[in-house]
Amino acid sequence: MLEKRLIGVITVKDGWAVQSIGYRRHRPLGRPEVIAENLDRWGVDEILLQCIDRDAQGGGPDLALLERLCRRGLSTPLVYTGGVRSVSDGVRAVQAGAERIGIDALLHDDPHLAAELAEPLGAQALIAVLPLSVHNGALAWLDHRSRLSTPLAPALLDVLASGAISEVLLVDWQHEGVHEGFDERLLALWPMPTLPLIAFGGLSEPSQLRGVLERPNVVAAAVGNFLNHREHAVQRLKQSLAGLPLRAATHAPLDPARAWS
Amino acid sequence: MSGARLTIGVVDYGAGNLASVARAITGLGHRCRVTRDTETLAAADAIVLPGVGAFPAAMASLHEHGLVDFLRQQARSGQPLIGICLGMQLLADMSLEHRLTAGLGLIPGRVRPLAGARWHIGWNTIEIDPEDALLSPSDGQSLYFNHAYAFDTPPPYCIGVSRLADAFTVAVRRGKVVGLQFHPEKSQLAGRLLLKNVIEGLCRA
Amino acid sequence: MAALMHCRRCLYTSAHPLGLMLDAEGICSGCRVHEEKDRLDWAERWQRLESLLAPYRSRSGETYDCIVPVSGAGDSHYIVHLVKQRLGLNPLLVTYNKYFNTSLGIRNLANLRIRFDCDLIQQNVNPHAVKKITRATLRDFGSDYWHCLAGQTVFPVQTAVRYRIPLILWGAHQGLEQVGMYSHEDEVEMTRRHRQDHDLMGREADDLPTMFDTLKESDIWQYRYPDDAALSAIGVRGVYLGNYVRWDPKAQHEQMIERCGYRTAAFARTFDTYDHVDCWNYMDLHDVLKLHKHGYSKVTDHACREIRHGRLTRAQGLALVRRHEQAAPQHLDKFCEWLGLDRSGLGFLLDRHRNPRWWREAETGRWAFAGASTTAGEAAGVTMPPASAVFEANDVLAHDGIDGYITIGKGHP
Repeated sequence: MLEKRLIGVITVKDGWAVQSIGYRRHRPLGRPEVIAENLDRWGVDEILLQCIDRDAQGGGPDLALLERLCRRGLSTPLVYTGGVRSVSDGVRAVQAGAERIGIDALLHDDPHLAAELAEPLGAQALIAVLPLSVHNGALAWLDHRSRLSTPLAPALLDVLASGAISEVLLVDWQHEGVHEGFDERLLALWPMPTLPLIAFGGLSEPSQLRGVLERPNVVAAAVGNFLNHREHAVQRLKQSLAGLPLRAATHAPLDPARAWS
Repeated sequence: MSGARLTIGVVDYGAGNLASVARAITGLGHRCRVTRDTETLAAADAIVLPGVGAFPAAMASLHEHGLVDFLRQQARSGQPLIGICLGMQLLADMSLEHRLTAGLGLIPGRVRPLAGARWHIGWNTIEIDPEDALLSPSDGQSLYFNHAYAFDTPPPYCIGVSRLADAFTVAVRRGKVVGLQFHPEKSQLAGRLLLKNVIEGLCRA
Repeated sequence: MAALMHCRRCLYTSAHPLGLMLDAEGICSGCRVHEEKDRLDWAERWQRLESLLAPYRSRSGETYDCIVPVSGAGDSHYIVHLVKQRLGLNPLLVTYNKYFNTSLGIRNLANLRIRFDCDLIQQNVNPHAVKKITRATLRDFGSDYWHCLAGQTVFPVQTAVRYRIPLILWGAHQGLEQVGMYSHEDEVEMTRRHRQDHDLMGREADDLPTMFDTLKESDIWQYRYPDDAALSAIGVRGVYLGNYVRWDPKAQHEQMIERCGYRTAAFARTFDTYDHVDCWNYMDLHDVLKLHKHGYSKVTDHACREIRHGRLTRAQGLALVRRHEQAAPQHLDKFCEWLGLDRSGLGFLLDRHRNPRWWREAETGRWAFAGASTTAGEAAGVTMPPASAVFEANDVLAHDGIDGYITIGKGHP
């Protein structure tokens, strides 16, 4: 049976992994590769590497970071987002080690170009990253560069309906970093019930995570900041979500060759 | 590790992330040669054919590097060959992805779009033919998938399936040629064990 | 490389090794989190701590409620005071023998255990392994302290597993206090990942034999973190009291000096006399290496802390930094004798680890410094701290006239 996924998010700014609060404030965490290795050991279902300053720096995807991560021998599927502006950007990110890539700014500027990435990579490798909020009872779509929100563009909805993109990362950007802050109205207002959703932003508590993952069109929940606060954060969440179709928690087995105990 | 160190050749033909596959192999304690040089590949204990992206482009790349006849020849001579993800699909007679394209033709069957679903993404359980010694220890395990096409092949070549609405082939075998639709190098402990059993089982048989 | 940015409020820069974020107003993440200390309801947070601890209180009184990692310096006295006297818990104190121990530190550690009537166990890793490790880490990544950081952070966790005591109570979280890595409200707990990333500079015990031919597993296994399965089976949890108590090391130390017999000493390289008195190296060789590698040293950490607590202005802090950070180390001979290095060999290593971002060899053997303090702005004219920021010493490192590294202290019944 195909299982739902718990995705660990690593947000990277200026090469450093950070906690991100409300798409505005940042707190340093450490090296992205050390955090990735840790999430891998904890058995998270996917790792989402989110580089948030690539558009500002105009540098395309952070291939060097992807390569560093792969060299460490990650055995967890990797989703990369940040700075993918062209087909060749997407192809290079996949060759550097990402299973799937996310596109954000490009969907505002040229959604049809975004769809062209499906040709070499396959729609299964493409995710639309949509930072959304509720404004006057309707969905508002953020452009993180201008910090302005607009209604979902018809061109975007066309591309999503065309099947060129397999999943949507629906980001409650305002409640990023807020305990139990995810606004479930975003899921209720989402206009395309057959397109699989990944919920992200303010998901910290098992009760809320359970409610979100129980929805039929939600295939995954992504958690960022909150996975850095406690040991075995992934396993604890999975254990508290028992009963959902989610891969079970694992703790790396004791190695009898280790003599100290 | 219960035997001598093996040398595994990983085909570098420009389609896919080789570092992860290579690290998975060295993590098992074996040597890994990432190359398109046919002499090096022929000298290895086994060849791994990875692959991501679209079938026609991957086959074009293999042709461009003179690897198509080489791989067919090596497989027919009994050198173990393991195809992963798109690499499994390349083992087929042909694929319908984008346009009808001939594959390596090492395992009969064709690659066609998944039925009842546009794509298969995430962790899913595999059901393995109990007769297959290499993969049956992994029966019921959850592995990571990311594809939109499936390889239709009859028994005895189909040795493992997964399901969405219906079942479809996710593991194939013909002699020492094995194909895995999922990503063992991205499936954590379950993937490591499976890859270990396949590589060591094929090479030490 | 990105341009160096300075916080407008404290003296940290974007080159801080733990990472530092500056916001649109030029204030750093550390200063922003520090603001919480004056905003949060600490009475409410104390209640949260009590609730968190309740399940760990032993009913029988025949076992320890928690483990408290301690040393002869730091906030150890205050932490044990909180744990034993204010929380009424029964702790097992654990300490890792750093080898570089001052007699004052030995005396303070004995005072801690006696004054608070606590049980204490100490880990002494054999000197051969410790020296082998230190030779390698010093040469390769300029760390004289790897074994100390590794031992101090792992021995409590190993003890938790071996003795089946799940709760470990630490003081303040260094990442939160210095660079605002977490909000107090995150209630961050101890993780293996943080230890690997920050305490151990990315290198865990098992990485060392891969990096150094001279090291084998038999030299490093004592520093290995327990497996996830073992941690999970016991339910090991490391909690930081600094998330629940308004942490102010100066005020806390002064309480402990006045009421609990803690003793202090002066250093050349900083104005703070309360911390690090247990070690001949921390404010000496270790601090010089920090200046060479990172372009700033411990006196900046002390100044930033006092600036944020409102006891120093930024200009006063900068004046203190400039006054102290180039002071010559005084105890290199002790280290050389211990490790079997000669002075010129150590000098060569020290120079090798000068980061060219902060150091330029103006002429052979003469180095020009371009570290954080040189571009930080205006310092106050007067270099003595104001009364509120004065730290007094009531002892010396060579307590009772005993100079040199002391491995095991005696004469403290």
